[in-house]
Amino acid sequence: MELYVALKVIWAFLLGVLLTGLAVMVGMDMGVGTMLRFVGRSDLERRAALNAIGPHWDGNQVWFVLGGGAIFAAFPTLYATSFSTFYVVMILLLFSMILRPLAFEYRSKVDASRWRATWDWAFLVSGAVPMFVFGAAFGNVLQGVGFHFTWDGQYFQDESFIWYLLNPFAILCGLMSVALSLYQGGTMLVMRTEQPIAARAERIAVAGGRIAALLFAIGGIWVSLMKGFVFTAPVDPAMAATPLHGPAVARQAGAWLGNFHAHPALWAIPAAGFLGMIAGSLALRAGFAVLGWWLGALAWVGTIFTVGVAMFPFLMPSTTAPAQSLTVWNASGSAYNLTWMLVFALIFTPAIIAYTGWAFRVMRGRVKTDSIAHDEHSY
Amino acid sequence: MTNLTVVELSRLQFALTALYHFLFVPLTLGLSVILAAIETVYVITGKPIYKDMTQFWGKLFGINFALGVATGLTMEFEFGTNWSMYSHFVGDVFGTPLAIEGLMAFFLESTFVGLMIFGWDRLSRPAHLAVTYLVALGSNLSALWILIANGFMQYPVGARFDPDTMRMQFTSLYDLIFSEDAQAKFVHTSIAGFVSAAMFVMGISAYYLLNKRHRAFAARSFRIAALFGLISTLAVITLGDALGRSDYLLQQTKIAAIEGLWHTTKPPYEPWKLVALPDDATQSDVFSIGLPYVLTPLVTHSFTEPIPGIIELEQEARPKIVNGIQAVLALHDYARTRSPEALAAFRKNEDDMGYGLLAQRYAPGQDLAAITKADLPGVVDRTARATIPNVFVEFWSFRIMMALGFAFLAVFAFAAYFSLRNRLERQPWILWLAMLFIPLPVLASEFGWIVAENGRQPWTVFGWLPTFQSASTHSVGYLLFSLIGFALIYTCFIAAELYLMFKYARIGPATGASETPQPAAGPHSADTSGYAEKPWQ
Amino acid sequence: METFIKFVALALILALALFIAVVAGDDGPWYFAWLVGTTMIVLIAAAGAVLLETQSPSGETGSEF
Repeated sequence: MELYVALKVIWAFLLGVLLTGLAVMVGMDMGVGTMLRFVGRSDLERRAALNAIGPHWDGNQVWFVLGGGAIFAAFPTLYATSFSTFYVVMILLLFSMILRPLAFEYRSKVDASRWRATWDWAFLVSGAVPMFVFGAAFGNVLQGVGFHFTWDGQYFQDESFIWYLLNPFAILCGLMSVALSLYQGGTMLVMRTEQPIAARAERIAVAGGRIAALLFAIGGIWVSLMKGFVFTAPVDPAMAATPLHGPAVARQAGAWLGNFHAHPALWAIPAAGFLGMIAGSLALRAGFAVLGWWLGALAWVGTIFTVGVAMFPFLMPSTTAPAQSLTVWNASGSAYNLTWMLVFALIFTPAIIAYTGWAFRVMRGRVKTDSIAHDEHSY
Repeated sequence: MTNLTVVELSRLQFALTALYHFLFVPLTLGLSVILAAIETVYVITGKPIYKDMTQFWGKLFGINFALGVATGLTMEFEFGTNWSMYSHFVGDVFGTPLAIEGLMAFFLESTFVGLMIFGWDRLSRPAHLAVTYLVALGSNLSALWILIANGFMQYPVGARFDPDTMRMQFTSLYDLIFSEDAQAKFVHTSIAGFVSAAMFVMGISAYYLLNKRHRAFAARSFRIAALFGLISTLAVITLGDALGRSDYLLQQTKIAAIEGLWHTTKPPYEPWKLVALPDDATQSDVFSIGLPYVLTPLVTHSFTEPIPGIIELEQEARPKIVNGIQAVLALHDYARTRSPEALAAFRKNEDDMGYGLLAQRYAPGQDLAAITKADLPGVVDRTARATIPNVFVEFWSFRIMMALGFAFLAVFAFAAYFSLRNRLERQPWILWLAMLFIPLPVLASEFGWIVAENGRQPWTVFGWLPTFQSASTHSVGYLLFSLIGFALIYTCFIAAELYLMFKYARIGPATGASETPQPAAGPHSADTSGYAEKPWQ
Repeated sequence: METFIKFVALALILALALFIAVVAGDDGPWYFAWLVGTTMIVLIAAAGAVLLETQSPSGETGSEF
């Protein structure tokens, strides 16, 4: 395999890893934010729930920033085109996302119930909306997006943004994403908070896991029936990275199952996702919260890589100009760039994992509800 | 065809969100380092008052940091949402420093900021100090990679345009990182953040001293901030001069606009315009007052080198525009036919391609192929005129920034002197001055941003990609939606931020404890100056 | 043994510092200046505070602090 092709595949894989890291870590914090008003009935209980993720949300959020930066660098054309075609949706995501850092930092700094209630609503919005948009983006990409390019590489949008928010399959994916984030956030609270918060969080998490499993099953059947995309002519994976001279692409019902038919071993990935959601809920009920957390992560791995494997090598297919669909082959960075990025990723990823792990270890243990009231550093 | 209203609205949105983001960044850059300095004193002397100082300034740091992070998210995504052509065109080289910034710096900063705030009881003193230093390092490394990316926009090195992929392709990481512009920019910006934070700490301490509250706390904070700020201001002025010289070598249109030079200078007499009213329409000054013999050595560091003026620079651009039009036409031909002849035709003029793209704006129907022989001189005229940034904005932004810089130097010098002599409370005027100056360094930083980015116009990538071609193909409605949303949300944010800042600055450091002496813990705390440990220490 | 490990660790840090100084000094003079300058700024500011602790009560208001 040519070096450039290997680099493209590696970066497609790393994109999957990044999106998974984002979903697990940021999703966990957003799940806590979404359920904050429901697991915490009093102000102190809510503060306890917030402080369970307080020392870590900031570090976790970097997955989101890094996701943006890595798509920008590794798949520039994908970054340019997807963020622009999804403009209204992305801006809604941003508006809700940027409430969160302030909600954490500002909520408990003023002792007034209206002030705090306002920020609690901000937590709900900034937890549920971004996760919904995140899931819906996968739904939209699976169905194909209406866009085309002119000769100089400028994109043009061919459908209305309302479709991206309101098409049934995207809604399904969005809801599944919210459900999984509730599962992950609830599991974290089970580990890090005291009763009765932990018990309430467990109920929400178990429900989240079950709903996610159900939606995953429905989504799977839906995808197997919907029109996927497939190359109708051989394509050179080492091609220069531009969508302007792409080979012929056709839309066919069931095309997204092509990779699974060609390599049956790939069925293990959606199976792992299912296992994560169902076994996770069971583990949580049985009191194994840590195992439940890791099974939740497995559920995310299964879900995101199922989408990736089904679509590979497509990244964002176009319904209106299928030949200009963005793929791993035609939307990536140059070989030089991908090489250097890989070097940096290999050096810094182990370091990040090491110090993030250390930070979690330093702050381990349950958050004591009554000590929060006296600790002026807490959120 | 590019909708110019959309481009202008996209520019407006980017400028507003970037300027807003930059209200908080300087304080983060500097305050993290000041926190490290204060905590160093705590670990060396073991006096608990320095721990209180670290925690109090750390709390204000947190309030500011949250907004820096929130508004930074916007910036990371805005290139994609609003500047699709730009992102496509330079993503291969511009995206990389942003990604590395996340990997190397932002993760470091954000992970350890949690430990810095929450880890006081769980970490040993040296370990907590190390965490604080890592936060400072992380935030400044962040700035480093962002400014390396910005340096590429100003002075694109380490990449080449590739006609097959229709974008700049990354060729040298080394050139990108050690680009002269990126270096000078990073140092100047980072240290400007130090100045902002020093003024912030000094001003709030002055407020306590004026009110005779938390005097032991305030005197120490004031001392550290005054010295920190004095050296930083000296550095920032020196480095600003370095940046100016780098502009003289690399971005002549910017330096000509900054100094309002309509014509090439005649060294050594050429005056430095102290005050002037430059008029972009007529390309002359309504009036101007200058200091003779100053300009040439100031900018060129010599007495003989001339500095090219605006009208001469426009003349120099004309042949490039003519060649550039040929290059773009050949490129379009190559995109259609993939023929080696078209490619050869493009290669002949490829270095001037950007000027051809710029000329599209003034071509009939924005189509270069539609330019007739009769049209050509007119198109070239208007394009040449467009290669110069707005002189009035550039001239005055620069002068305001510079005047503020020298004012800071004076304030810090007096403040440091009186603080070192322990005579501050006899000199309320310097305390008042320090308090009133709190917002000014951030203001100077904003003007610095305007000088740098307005001076880059009409390009997003200097000489390669014009701004008007860089934007996404949105409708005006999309832009209005996002602009109004940002305006509403950001207004609420700044209100909440200022409310909390004033609230916590007024409350001051954890009070009361300092009045009740107790035997202090810790190995070195021989003398606690009547200052007690907190129960949570 | 512990002393030895500390010695080796410090020696490694020194070697790294020298390496950074050589690379940065050659190719990134302004980066090098930032490293040295920031260290200096932090140290002088810290020294100012340490000085305040030792300043004699003869200073006009020194004793009050």
